[in-house]
Amino acid sequence: MKDVYILGIESSCDETSASIVKNGVEEIATVISSQIDVHKNYGGVVPEIASRHHVKNITMVLEECLEKANMTMDDIDAIAITYGPGLIGSLLIGLEAAKTLSFVYNKPLVPVHHIAGHIYANSLVKPLEFPLLAVVVSGGHTELIEMKKHYDFQKLGGTLDDAIGECYDKVARVIDLEYPGGPKLDKLASIGKDTYSLPVPLKDDSYNFSFSGLKSAVINLAHNEEQRGNPLRKEDLACSFQRVAVESIINKVKKAITEKNIKHVIVAGGVAANNGLRNAMTELCNELGVDLSIPPMKYCTDNGTMIAAAGYFAYLEGRRADLNLNSKSQDTLK
Amino acid sequence: MRILYIDTSSSYLYTSIVENDKLISEIKEEFGQSLSEVALPRIASMFDKNNLSPKDIDKIIVVNGPGSFTGIRIGITIAKIYAWSLNIPITTIYSLEAMAISSKNNTYHVPILNARRGYVYTAIYDEDYKEVLKPCHILLTDLQEKLKDIKEYEYISNDEFDDLDVNSYSPDMVKVVNYFKDKENINPHAVNPEYLKLTEAEESKL
Repeated sequence: MKDVYILGIESSCDETSASIVKNGVEEIATVISSQIDVHKNYGGVVPEIASRHHVKNITMVLEECLEKANMTMDDIDAIAITYGPGLIGSLLIGLEAAKTLSFVYNKPLVPVHHIAGHIYANSLVKPLEFPLLAVVVSGGHTELIEMKKHYDFQKLGGTLDDAIGECYDKVARVIDLEYPGGPKLDKLASIGKDTYSLPVPLKDDSYNFSFSGLKSAVINLAHNEEQRGNPLRKEDLACSFQRVAVESIINKVKKAITEKNIKHVIVAGGVAANNGLRNAMTELCNELGVDLSIPPMKYCTDNGTMIAAAGYFAYLEGRRADLNLNSKSQDTLK
Repeated sequence: MRILYIDTSSSYLYTSIVENDKLISEIKEEFGQSLSEVALPRIASMFDKNNLSPKDIDKIIVVNGPGSFTGIRIGITIAKIYAWSLNIPITTIYSLEAMAISSKNNTYHVPILNARRGYVYTAIYDEDYKEVLKPCHILLTDLQEKLKDIKEYEYISNDEFDDLDVNSYSPDMVKVVNYFKDKENINPHAVNPEYLKLTEAEESKL
């Protein structure tokens, strides 16, 4: 079969990225322009500022990507674009860019759900095996997705309130860690002891998660300690929080693996970089004898590579969009 | 010389293909929120109708603002990607310039856009369209102060203003394109919106 080169474009939050991937598994070139230093000053991503940076960077990111790959647009078979979910103003820049390239070069346009991208980041490391369980953990998502074959997604459950990454960032703020605090909290947890008592949320029979109660419990605990004049042992609090947060994920993952006869578990999304979660997932999958894939750090954050990888499998499934494609801030993966 | 004109800075899509002073095709239609969805397919439909391919364009003139932040970015992204990918000369103009130049009245021209909280995006151009006040974001009352000594002028806008006599705006795209057809080209990477206003987050940091 002829090789297929997909150009993937991603701009759903604060990273402008373009990448070329061969046959859905081989990364040819990737460029990521991150705005993290800009948004740090505001304690979080400011949507209007993010949109302004995307439009400024978009052609430079594409040019650098093609140069790195030593390719031209004529070598590209299709353009894969994150149409959602994400920040609407940010998504629109990548979308208009992809639509314009599709129009100018008369190339197929392949719509990719952002989460499908995070899942397929794993196919750059190792072929996916089915039935597969995707554990999607990021600043915007906490979901368990079952896949019986390529590009077939069945959501088993998700968070009822905050996403896990969001909860990490908020708890990090309670113990004065600079944005984005999640990774710093993970590091701090590794030197702390599990001494604080926090409740494991949503110990029920569903595949759902809940993190807002855990976040409130941490805020209350910090507040009470302060009232009593007890100095807060930040590393211990980080450790206790991390143990409970990870345990609540692991409980539901274990249930899904057993009930759905899962062969391959993959972790996807920004929180896949979390060491506490990585270790616990490794231990669980060893215990149950299933394959585990965790993408390398560089594929955990938002990037065009994963969109191009997912785009390849969507392309094979015949998924196409015309120039009327619009961005969606929210959309179910299907 | 065949020129593509794109203005998505308001709730309207204004786009045209102009060839040697003649209109080949144009669209003037209000879309509001759905502009992001329809802008490119509508532009593409102009090409289809006239059996033109994207490569048949010699220059792009795109409006870079002021106006709706999201709207401006849609037109700018389409235009800069188009120009960059096919290596087509491109230049930018202000929405306010297009509004002034489309007017046939022999007075000073004062295009204004409602920027809320008493503010407007505006500029002042004389009878010959020479810039008297450069595009800016100011209080309407400050604009009125600047207009005190000017005898004859017209406000141009599609926005509603209480107590202002405003001429409505419908672009004369052939006139606008001809006026700017020789304007210096810009590197597509440097084609960017002119918001004329910081974001609220940046303002609160000042």
